[in-house]
Amino acid sequence: MGRDCLAPTIRPAAGAIRSRVSWNVDWKRIAATLATVLGWGIVIPAAVPAADFETGAGDVLLRRCLECHGASDPSGGLDLSRAEGLLDGGDSGAVIMPGNPAASPLLARVIAGEMPPPKNGVDQQLTAAEIDGLQEWIAAGAVWPEGRVLDRFERTTDARGGRDWWAFEPLRAGPPPTVAGVSHPIDAFVRDRLAREGIAPAPAADRRTLLRRLAFDLVGLPPTADELDAFAADPAPDAYEKQVDRLLASPHFGERQARHWLDVARFAETNGYERDAEKPHAWRYRDWVVKAFNDDMPFDRFVLEQLAGDELPDRTEATAIATGFLRLGTWDDEPNDAEDYQYDRLEDLVNVTSTAFLGLTVKCARCHDHKFDSITQADYYRLAAAFWPGPVHNGRAKALGGPSAEQIGFDVLGWTDLGPEAAPIHALKKGDRHRPLAEVKAGAPSFVAALAGDFPLPPADSRTTLRRTHLARWITNPTNPLTPRVIVNRLWQHHFGQGLCKNPDNVGFNGPRPEYRDLLDALAADLVAGGWKLKSLHRLIVTSATYRQASIHPDMEALADRDPGNTLLWRADRRRLDAESLRDAILAVSGDLDPRLGGPSFKAPIDAEALEGLSMKGGAYQPSPPEECRRRSLYMFTKRGLIVPLMTTFDQCDTTVPTGKRDVSIVALQALSLLNNGWVRGEADACAGLVLASATEAGPRVDDAWRRVLGRLPSANEKKAALAHVTTQMAGDPARERLAWASLCQVLFNTNEFLSID
Amino acid sequence: MPSHRPILSPAFPCGLSRREAIWEMGAGFAGLALSALLERDGFFARHAAGALPAANPLASRAAHQAVPAKSVIFLLMNGAPSHVDTFDPKPTLEKYAGQPIPAEMKFINSGGRAMGKLTPACRPFKACGQSGIPISDFFPKMREHADKMAVIRSCHTDTHAHGSALVQMNTGKPLIGRPSLGSWVVYGLGTENQDMPGYVVLLDKRGGPIGGQPNWSSGFMPASFQGTLFRPVGNPILDLAVPADLGRAGQRQQLDLLAALNDEHLRSRPGGTELAARAASYELAYRMQAEAPAAVDLGAETAATLEAYGVNQEPTAEFGRNCLIARRLVERGVRFVQLYSGGGHLEETWDAHESVEKNHGRHAGETDQPIAALLTDLEQRGLLDSTLVVWGGEFGRMPFSEGEGKPGRNHNPYGFSMWMAGGGVKGGTIYGATDEIGFAAVENRVHVHDLHATILALLGLDHTRLTYFHQGRDDRLTDVYGRVISEIVA
Repeated sequence: MGRDCLAPTIRPAAGAIRSRVSWNVDWKRIAATLATVLGWGIVIPAAVPAADFETGAGDVLLRRCLECHGASDPSGGLDLSRAEGLLDGGDSGAVIMPGNPAASPLLARVIAGEMPPPKNGVDQQLTAAEIDGLQEWIAAGAVWPEGRVLDRFERTTDARGGRDWWAFEPLRAGPPPTVAGVSHPIDAFVRDRLAREGIAPAPAADRRTLLRRLAFDLVGLPPTADELDAFAADPAPDAYEKQVDRLLASPHFGERQARHWLDVARFAETNGYERDAEKPHAWRYRDWVVKAFNDDMPFDRFVLEQLAGDELPDRTEATAIATGFLRLGTWDDEPNDAEDYQYDRLEDLVNVTSTAFLGLTVKCARCHDHKFDSITQADYYRLAAAFWPGPVHNGRAKALGGPSAEQIGFDVLGWTDLGPEAAPIHALKKGDRHRPLAEVKAGAPSFVAALAGDFPLPPADSRTTLRRTHLARWITNPTNPLTPRVIVNRLWQHHFGQGLCKNPDNVGFNGPRPEYRDLLDALAADLVAGGWKLKSLHRLIVTSATYRQASIHPDMEALADRDPGNTLLWRADRRRLDAESLRDAILAVSGDLDPRLGGPSFKAPIDAEALEGLSMKGGAYQPSPPEECRRRSLYMFTKRGLIVPLMTTFDQCDTTVPTGKRDVSIVALQALSLLNNGWVRGEADACAGLVLASATEAGPRVDDAWRRVLGRLPSANEKKAALAHVTTQMAGDPARERLAWASLCQVLFNTNEFLSID
Repeated sequence: MPSHRPILSPAFPCGLSRREAIWEMGAGFAGLALSALLERDGFFARHAAGALPAANPLASRAAHQAVPAKSVIFLLMNGAPSHVDTFDPKPTLEKYAGQPIPAEMKFINSGGRAMGKLTPACRPFKACGQSGIPISDFFPKMREHADKMAVIRSCHTDTHAHGSALVQMNTGKPLIGRPSLGSWVVYGLGTENQDMPGYVVLLDKRGGPIGGQPNWSSGFMPASFQGTLFRPVGNPILDLAVPADLGRAGQRQQLDLLAALNDEHLRSRPGGTELAARAASYELAYRMQAEAPAAVDLGAETAATLEAYGVNQEPTAEFGRNCLIARRLVERGVRFVQLYSGGGHLEETWDAHESVEKNHGRHAGETDQPIAALLTDLEQRGLLDSTLVVWGGEFGRMPFSEGEGKPGRNHNPYGFSMWMAGGGVKGGTIYGATDEIGFAAVENRVHVHDLHATILALLGLDHTRLTYFHQGRDDRLTDVYGRVISEIVA
């Protein structure tokens, strides 16, 4: 192992090192003496080629030391990113003596396990191989390749992602693998992998299961029994494709897709905080989203209008409404300090933009460089600079923190710059506005290296800074690999229950890597090449055999053991209806659903006891008339200070930050609300009314109830149990007939079959 | 304590990376199953608290450290009591009465209200108990418990507005959207009684705190960790009551039919563990229907107890009942109970803009006897060591009056008092100090993060290790702050 004979050439277990390293030496003195003798700065003849530095000591420094000893504000004054820093040493003096490992404090501290220091109580000692690497390098003269500066963001290490992190790499747009008998590109990727794993995919789901899944995914509503029958009996070879096209063309398609986007856009219709005042016209943003999905607006345009609809040469009221995206966040009309608060608002805007479109947690870099991704603090402020020229300062109570109608040009909830120029923005040390660092220019961040750079200044006659336009153009630049990957992954998740990359909001180092990277990239490249059309992407996904698999597999137990998360996609994942789909499905099967599209939201009735939690400072909560309350849940007014209990019980997400994936919990309160909630019981009663009117005999009525709620006929056992239930509930009292049938319908609402999608 | 039926079969081994696994912890059911198997594999050996068990996110789990405290009763004095009139006597104010506040004391005049002169406490203080802790005449009964209390006189917070300050007292930050203290505690420790919610909030009848739900929200955590609003009479939980036209027997029939249908459904879906769990949750709900109303049924309490809490008389009836229910809840293994005194706005809360004497006279009159009775009762039942009681508002009040010669005081986030008792707290302690006129905390300053770190520590939870992975990082109740006030820990 070629160690210097002076070095304590030991590589015992970590615990033993400390006791055996017992040099009692004044390092500073020796270093100073030797510095005089040798003369610092004189490069000792290279015995080690540069390549060895990159794979040896340089690699160790980069991965294990630079987090603290990097170029900016290095810990202990020791900058290990460049040769000069290494030779200069730190506050406590020299750290290495080239050619003499035993006289190099850096090595001693590393061997003693003092460096890197323990993190959260966990020892961080370098491995034996790493220590060897450093030792050999120092012994050979500590040669540092000329001009080489180590950048801790340059590549991925054990502790953080670099600019080479997979999500920042260009799309790998290769052709799908060739698999015999498989023509669909998605299936080619999946079947190829499954074949290599020796896994047979699940058989195709039966037609009824498939149509129910497809309908909930595309329009968020259950198919009727007649639709299920017709599809099950359709002999046409393209029977399924016809269903796909029908549902993609349905106006309810946009409603369903909008719900997903509104979660990501942190949509709510009030400001939150003390007065929790209503955001007027917020519903028009929601309708804009519905229409965009229904019209198959290209996704790059979808991004552009939301970020910069006010700056477009062809701007309209609709594009101004789209900028409502920037107004949906919480807004405190009485912040403790309005100067501080404008930076909190910037964080909301940077966060929603970077999460929604890029799947990155850029907001972590508000106070310091990102701890896990190659996002610098300057990157955060480059993005923040896009919003800085807008009304982020709070002195605008009348317009609820936004521009006035005059400034926007339309009476909508929208955004615009206050002028073509903006005050300079500075990075802030630890996010403290009293400690400004360098000024930061609006521009594209560094993590997509190919596109980094300042945004150009606006032309002289511009009304705004055009920074948001440039930001949107950067986000949708075909060279930016994040945007298409992130939206493809979101859509995939909506169809499969989980994304190809399991965290839709974080494709960075702390998010899981995709198992099917090539598939994700192929779909992303295809999306961009095809003009960013989402409907074709939906069509491509749902026509794959992978999507059409059953949720059960003949070899379930063994495969679940091997791949419990179904990451390899050997079956479909069973899902629970989300809060909105559940409520909409109950309305639909009870014949109460009002399918009207768009318009102001309705305020759902809330039990008086739940209203006790409201302070009423913003005025009493007034529910809408009952006929309004039969509309789809998308149109339910979302008040930040008062979430409708039925919805939050079923995991409707928080509205303060973007949510790409909702929780799915199983708690007793869900059972209680489906059993006892007055609204649920009212719908069960309405359903019973239809069931009673459908036939005069109990048997056919049970059939009708099953078809209505579950889309199928009951089994013999089920029918028997249902009839017994109705008889017991009636208790011989004809006056209880409706109640008994309502009880049956309500039980059906509570079944796992109704609540889940196979 | 009835035990919760195990509802998940053993979890699967895993081939996921650490990061995936941690992320999955926040991903609902699938995540719960996954974290259980990681737990089995020793993955969470270092983070036992906070790791979610398989079937039930609320299952009880061990703290980081063994401590006496098991439950918390947080008495939130909504509207902000005046510290200089309650627990922080400032004789200097007598001396400087009528003078303006020194110019070097900078502050935000919340709401731009009228500025009066320095004004002494409206009621006298008295040194109480062995410890001699001074407590004002507003709380004659609480004075008897001075030796149980650790009074923190150096609290400070970040904002002067009720809405955001309440949110900060509950969640650590003045911005809405974060999990509340109770959510973190239940996330960390689960709860002892699966037939009851683990985190219960009892509001004042006059209304909820301004800001509403974000005060007991689970923020970015699963909704199972959010506070459950609990009503102190009848059926305490929303949708708990069996509809009268159905009756308990009728509902039992529904549940039996449902179980039969779900069983048949599950038979054709092998491995449907989440289906089994959902089916089982109905039995849990059924038991909760019996257990929760029993918790608010005071029929079994003695006349002496009811009298001690002031349940049958005004003005103590409502808060007395709530305090008694709080005791019954912790007795039943509920982990975190929060009681609001004051609801709605202004004088309906402790927000004494018009007159401290009048406002605090009213609210102290409603709460003094019940809180004293609660402390006595907990002690007599041997529950005081296992129950941490926390008292305080969202900030304090100014040492000067609101308007010349007026008896009210405006908001003061720069200094205020809180106290804790029971649950491993060193009684008879005074910690920290405000300046000589009570304007700002100056000695051993205690930020809301420090209060939270201390409350968690008293429950055996290390605030730096109780983390929840969210938006790319291990988030904490105390963010990157927080210091445990070890001086008040016994």
